[in-house]
Amino acid sequence: MKEFTFIELGRRIGQLLLSLFVLLLVTFVIGRVLPTDPVGAIVGELADPATYEAMRQRLGLDLPIYQQFWIYLTSMVQGDLGTAILTGNPVVNDLRAAFPATLELATLAVVLSTVIGVPLGMTAAFFRDSWFDQFARVISLVGHSIPVFWFGIVGLVIFYATLNWVGGPGRIDIYLEGLVEPQTGLLLIDSLLVGDYEVFWNAVSHIILPACILAYSAMAYITRMTRSFTLEQLNQDYVIAARAKGASNWRIVSGHLLPNIAVQLVTVLAIAYGGLLEGAVVTEVVFSWPGIGQYMTNALMIGDMNAVVAATLIIGIIFMVLNFLSDLAYLVLDPRTREVTT
Amino acid sequence: MKHFSKHLLAGAAFALMSAVSPLAFAATPDDQLVIGTSLAQVLSLDPQQGTEVKTQEILANIYDRLVEFSSEDNYAVRPQLAESWDIDDAGITFHLRDAKFTSGNPVRAQDVVYSLVRLIKLDQSAAASFKNAGYTADRIESLVTAVDDKTVRIEMTDGVIPESLLYRLTMGTASVVDSVEVQKHVVNDDYGNEWLRTNAAGSGPFTLRRWTPNDIVLLEANADYWDGAPAMRRVAMRHAPESQAARLMLERGDIDIANALTAPDVLVFDGKEGFEIGQSKTGGFYALAMNAGREPLSNPLVRQAIAYGIDYEGIANTILGPYGRARNVPVPEDFEGAIANPDWSFQPEKARALLAEAGYPNGFDLTIKTISQTPRVDMATAIQASLSEIGLNVRVQQGNGSDIVAAHRARDFDLLIPQTGAFMPTALGSIDNYVTNPDNSLEANNAGNFVWRSDWDIPELNALRNEANGERDDARRAELIKEIQELFLASSPAVIPMFERFEPYVINAKVQGYEGHPLSLTRLEDVTKSSGN
Repeated sequence: MKEFTFIELGRRIGQLLLSLFVLLLVTFVIGRVLPTDPVGAIVGELADPATYEAMRQRLGLDLPIYQQFWIYLTSMVQGDLGTAILTGNPVVNDLRAAFPATLELATLAVVLSTVIGVPLGMTAAFFRDSWFDQFARVISLVGHSIPVFWFGIVGLVIFYATLNWVGGPGRIDIYLEGLVEPQTGLLLIDSLLVGDYEVFWNAVSHIILPACILAYSAMAYITRMTRSFTLEQLNQDYVIAARAKGASNWRIVSGHLLPNIAVQLVTVLAIAYGGLLEGAVVTEVVFSWPGIGQYMTNALMIGDMNAVVAATLIIGIIFMVLNFLSDLAYLVLDPRTREVTT
Repeated sequence: MKHFSKHLLAGAAFALMSAVSPLAFAATPDDQLVIGTSLAQVLSLDPQQGTEVKTQEILANIYDRLVEFSSEDNYAVRPQLAESWDIDDAGITFHLRDAKFTSGNPVRAQDVVYSLVRLIKLDQSAAASFKNAGYTADRIESLVTAVDDKTVRIEMTDGVIPESLLYRLTMGTASVVDSVEVQKHVVNDDYGNEWLRTNAAGSGPFTLRRWTPNDIVLLEANADYWDGAPAMRRVAMRHAPESQAARLMLERGDIDIANALTAPDVLVFDGKEGFEIGQSKTGGFYALAMNAGREPLSNPLVRQAIAYGIDYEGIANTILGPYGRARNVPVPEDFEGAIANPDWSFQPEKARALLAEAGYPNGFDLTIKTISQTPRVDMATAIQASLSEIGLNVRVQQGNGSDIVAAHRARDFDLLIPQTGAFMPTALGSIDNYVTNPDNSLEANNAGNFVWRSDWDIPELNALRNEANGERDDARRAELIKEIQELFLASSPAVIPMFERFEPYVINAKVQGYEGHPLSLTRLEDVTKSSGN
C-alpha cells in the first residue's frame, strides 16, 4: 500500500510543478506584453536615451523574450527570485517583510468570519425561511455585494473619525513605530514576546477594523455555504433518526451534523483564507497596510515584473499548500478517505 | 477550573475594551511631526539618483547643499553649506562653513567635488540639468575643483550664467554626500549607489532612521546640526495613498500634514477651523501635448483650433481648485519677466472656423492619453467634452505612469497631458520644457525632451533659448525672455501650457513654520508645534 502512496505523491508533485510552470509562464508573458516601462520608472521621465539604454541592458530587457524567460527560470531554480526595482532588495526579502502584515490580518479575519459565519449559516438552515434565515441572507448578501473599499471608508468614518473606538490606517500609531524589533514580523505576537503591552493594544486597535471588514466580506461566502451544506444534511435519514430518538438540536449539530459537513467546510475555509492571504489589495490600500497586496499593486504600477512574478509565485504556492493541507484534513475528518488509502 | 477560565475570559474582554478606547484618543506628540503622503514613487534615497517630488522632501532634510532658495525674498539664492561665494567672469568660488556629517566626518571641499562628479558619472536623469549645461562626464573633473579643504571652485560653461549655475546648485541632486563614508560602500564602480539608495550619508538637520518602502520613512533630529538641533525630535512620513483615509487621519490628529489629497478632499478643509491649506507653487504646468508629427495635428491651424477649444477657466474653477490656475504662457505669472496671458479663452465659433479653414469642417477623431491620477483624469474628460463642441471626437485613454510616459517618449499619441516642472524658479527655468529641441529628427531620439516627443521642430525658438541662457547682461536677457514668450505663443505651439501647477497640502494649525517649497525641498528644521489642543 505504501508504494501506491509514493506514486500518488509523485504524481501530485508533478502536477504541482506543472501548474507552477504554467503560472510562471502566464505571469511572465503578461508582464512582458503589457506596455509598462520599468526602465522609465528607474531612470526617471527626463532621462536621455543613453542612460535609458544602459539601464535597459542592465536589466536584461534588450534580450529576446524567450531568453529573458530562460534566464528567469534558471535563476529561479537556484532560489534567486531576482531583485525588486522598487527597493533594490532581493524580492524574497521584500516579500518576507510584507507577508507577516498580510498574514496577521488575514488570519484574524478568517477566524472572525468562521466564528460568526458558521453558526450563522447553521442556524439559518435550522430555521429555514424564518425571519432569522431572511436576516442572515440579507446580512451576508450585503457583505458580499458592497465593495470592501466603501466599507473601509465608512468604517473609518464611523469607528475611527467619529466614535474614536479604533486606531486609524497603518498597523500602529506612528509614535510607537519602531519600538518593537520584529522577530516573527507579526506585530501582535512580537509585542507580547517582549511584553510591551502599550504596543500590543495599540496594534489591536489598528487591526480590528480592517480585520472585521475583511471578515465580513468573507463571512458572506462562508455563511451561504454552511447553510446549504447543513440543509443538505438536515434531510438525511440519520438526522431524522436522531430526532426520532429525541436528541437535542445541540446534540444533532455537534454529534452528527458538524462531523458530516466538516470536510466541505474545511475546503470552503481554506479557499476563503487563501483569498485573504493573497492580499486584500483594496483593504490594504485604504488602511495603509504594508502587506503583500499593496506591495504587488505598487510593483505592478511601476512595471516591476520581478516583484510581480515572484509574488504571484508565492501566492500560487500558498494556494497549493492550503489545498494540500485541506486534503490532509480530509484524512483526519473523514474516515472513508482513510479506508481507501490504507 | 471552568469558573476560572470564565473569569479569565471576562477579565480579558474587559481589559481589551478599557485598553483600546483610551489609546485611540492619542494624538501626535508635540515633538514629532507626522506627514501623510504617498511613498509609492520613492524608489531611491540616493540624492544623485532620486528626482521624484516626495523623494526630494525626504532628501532635503537629510542632506545639505551649497546654497538654497525658498519662496521668500523672491526666490533669492541663500547660503547653506557655503557661507559665502565670489563670482568672477569664469566661475564661482565657494567658502564652506564648519559643518559635520552625521558620521562625524567634517564637511570638506573634497566632498562637494565628489558629490558633483558622482552626479555626472552616475549618469541618472538627475544629472540632466547639469549635463544640458555642458557639465559632461569628460569635463566635470576640470570644472569642479577643491582649492583647499574649505574652498570649492566651480567654472562656468557656455551653457550657464552665474544665476543659473547657483540655482542648479540649490537642487536636491546637488546635495553634498559624505565621500569618506560613501567610498567605503563602492561596489563595481557604482559610486556607492547600491548602498546609498537605502542609506544616508549627509550633514542635514535630520538623519534617516528607517525607510520601509510603501510604508514609512522615519527621520530623527541631528543633535549636532551646524545650525542648531531642529525642534522636532522625529519626523515620520507615512504612506497614506488613499486620499479619504488620509483626510480622516488629518481630521483626527493622527497626522499633522497631508500632501497627497485629491482636490475634493483638500477643499473639505477650506475655512475649517484648526486647519490651513497651503500650496507649493512648482513653477511648472499641466500641459497639453499634441503630436505635430501626425495628421491633422501637423497643421498649425488645427493646433490653434484646439487651443481655442478648451475651457481653461471652467476647468480651473471646477476641477483644479487648489491644484492650479489657468495660464497659457509657459512662465508662471509670479515670475519676473512673465508676459500677460493671451486671449485663448474657450471660443468654439473661432475654433470651428479655424478647423474649416484647415480643411476639416466636420472635425475628426483623436485620442487623449493621460495618467489615471487626480486631477489629470478629470481634466482629460473636461477637454474631451469641450473639444466635442468644436466637432472633434476625442477618446480618453488612461494608463499608469509607466505606460503613458513610454507612449509619450515613443511619440505614440495624438493628445497627451504631461506635467512639467521648473528646474529653477526663473522664467528660463520654467520655459525650458517648451522651447528646447536641438534636433527634431527621429534618429536624435531625444526622448527626455517634451518638444521632441511632440515632434515639433522649432529651430528659431531653440536658438533664442540658447542665446538667453548664455546672456549675462540682465537687460538684454530680459528682452530675449520676452521675445521667446511672444514667439512661442505665435508659433501655434504643439505643447500648450494650460494650468500653472500647484502642489496643495493641508496642515494642522498646531504646526508652525512649514512652508511648501517650489521644488519640494521643504526643510523641516524650523517647524514647531504648539502644545495646545
